[in-house]
Amino acid sequence: METFYTESPQVQQIIQGLNLTRTLFVSSIVIGEPHIGKKTLVTHLFPDIPVVSGEHQDEVEAILEHADELIITNFEKLSNKENLVFDNKRIIATADYIGNQKTIDSLFAFIYMMPTYKERPEDLKHLKTHFLEEAAATLMLDASAYTLSQLPTDLTHNSKSLKRAIYHYLMSRNMNKKEIEETLYTYFLEHLEGNNGYKEYVGMYERPLIKAGLDKYGSQLKLSEILGINRNTLRKKIHEHGID
Amino acid sequence: MSTALIDFRPFVEWDNNPFILFDPKGKILYLNNSAEILLGYVSKKELFDLSLAYAPQSFGYKTTSISLRYEAFNFYSITVGYENEEQLSIRFYNAPRLRNHTPVEKEKLTLTDINLLLEANIALFKTKNSNPLQLLTDPDMPQLRIDQNRFSKLLRKVFESFRASDSIRIELKLLVGEHVIIDEQKISIAQLSTTANGRYVDNDKEIKILSEECNIRSNLQESSIKLEIPLIT
Repeated sequence: METFYTESPQVQQIIQGLNLTRTLFVSSIVIGEPHIGKKTLVTHLFPDIPVVSGEHQDEVEAILEHADELIITNFEKLSNKENLVFDNKRIIATADYIGNQKTIDSLFAFIYMMPTYKERPEDLKHLKTHFLEEAAATLMLDASAYTLSQLPTDLTHNSKSLKRAIYHYLMSRNMNKKEIEETLYTYFLEHLEGNNGYKEYVGMYERPLIKAGLDKYGSQLKLSEILGINRNTLRKKIHEHGID
Repeated sequence: MSTALIDFRPFVEWDNNPFILFDPKGKILYLNNSAEILLGYVSKKELFDLSLAYAPQSFGYKTTSISLRYEAFNFYSITVGYENEEQLSIRFYNAPRLRNHTPVEKEKLTLTDINLLLEANIALFKTKNSNPLQLLTDPDMPQLRIDQNRFSKLLRKVFESFRASDSIRIELKLLVGEHVIIDEQKISIAQLSTTANGRYVDNDKEIKILSEECNIRSNLQESSIKLEIPLIT
């Protein structure tokens, strides 16, 4: 069974509404951006109701013929919404966007708008902890070595981009020299072409090297000593790679 | 046949159209049963002012077509008249009530705890609005047969009308002594009233349609919506 955790008052109201109507034959829809937990929420609240995606039109129609309850995810993907009959059925749908307001309005009694993670920062902390633990377990790392404030918060695609950013963060901090070389090797194998390859790709080593050196040692003079190159050469490279 | 000896008062008394007799200062000299109920919704002064405004210029009677609405009362015309300087009468003509053409299909209705639907709709309302809301309900309200989905849609539309209102008050009560006849059966009525300092009217048409589909009588006012719900069991 999926679990769902929220501290957002708005989402708690949605849960209350759905819980109050769980014994009733009414149709409800939860609408909101992709990857904000809509499906997790409804499948957590109604674990025994069959789930079908709106992508599978025939299946939805077939189940509605004889069953009196159904969860329809990606409702926006159904193409014959106007012909659906939800009378005396318990329907819970999720959709990424409203689409035709009139159709939604006439089909559903309860229309809930689910806020994004940006709009419910109280849930973000929990979600980051969840992804950190999951990523650490998958990558066989120690989650306690990281703090939440260290982790990136990429919400461009809600939980999907957040999860990806956390996995990426953990992986990038736990690669050894050999793995980094392997990664570069795979990259070059795929991308190297043309007639200016050296100039084009040498920056991939030099840029992080100089940037990290400057952050670590603070001055160009010190860094040129550490790198064992001339100060003017270093300055030239800083300018070349657009490093501030 | 001479009618001089017939006492006409009971006919006026039991007429369903309200009748009031004022003295020149606006004091009520007589009112029939129906007018007594009407005065529960509108002030004596307002009705006296109305009588003066529509009185004929000299002795006699004048009937004016005018659309008046006082809560559940809906009039299409009034007659104001006087035969001497001491008494001024006004009679209101009830507008015919629209007959509900939606047949009741009991087998399609589900026995429902109305308080549950009410709470769920309030939870839905609260996901979008933070307006203060007061709910007064009767926990002993009997279950009723209703189309749960359609009734929920109706409640959503009603509450949405109050999306920008302050101090919303929702009250559910049994209308004691009031009944409606459905399929030759006397059915009790519950009243759900939602009141605030004002409301939107953009949903009114849909509210009326959905009400009719649910066999509910709706009374839409400037700052309130009242639904009279038959307690079909």
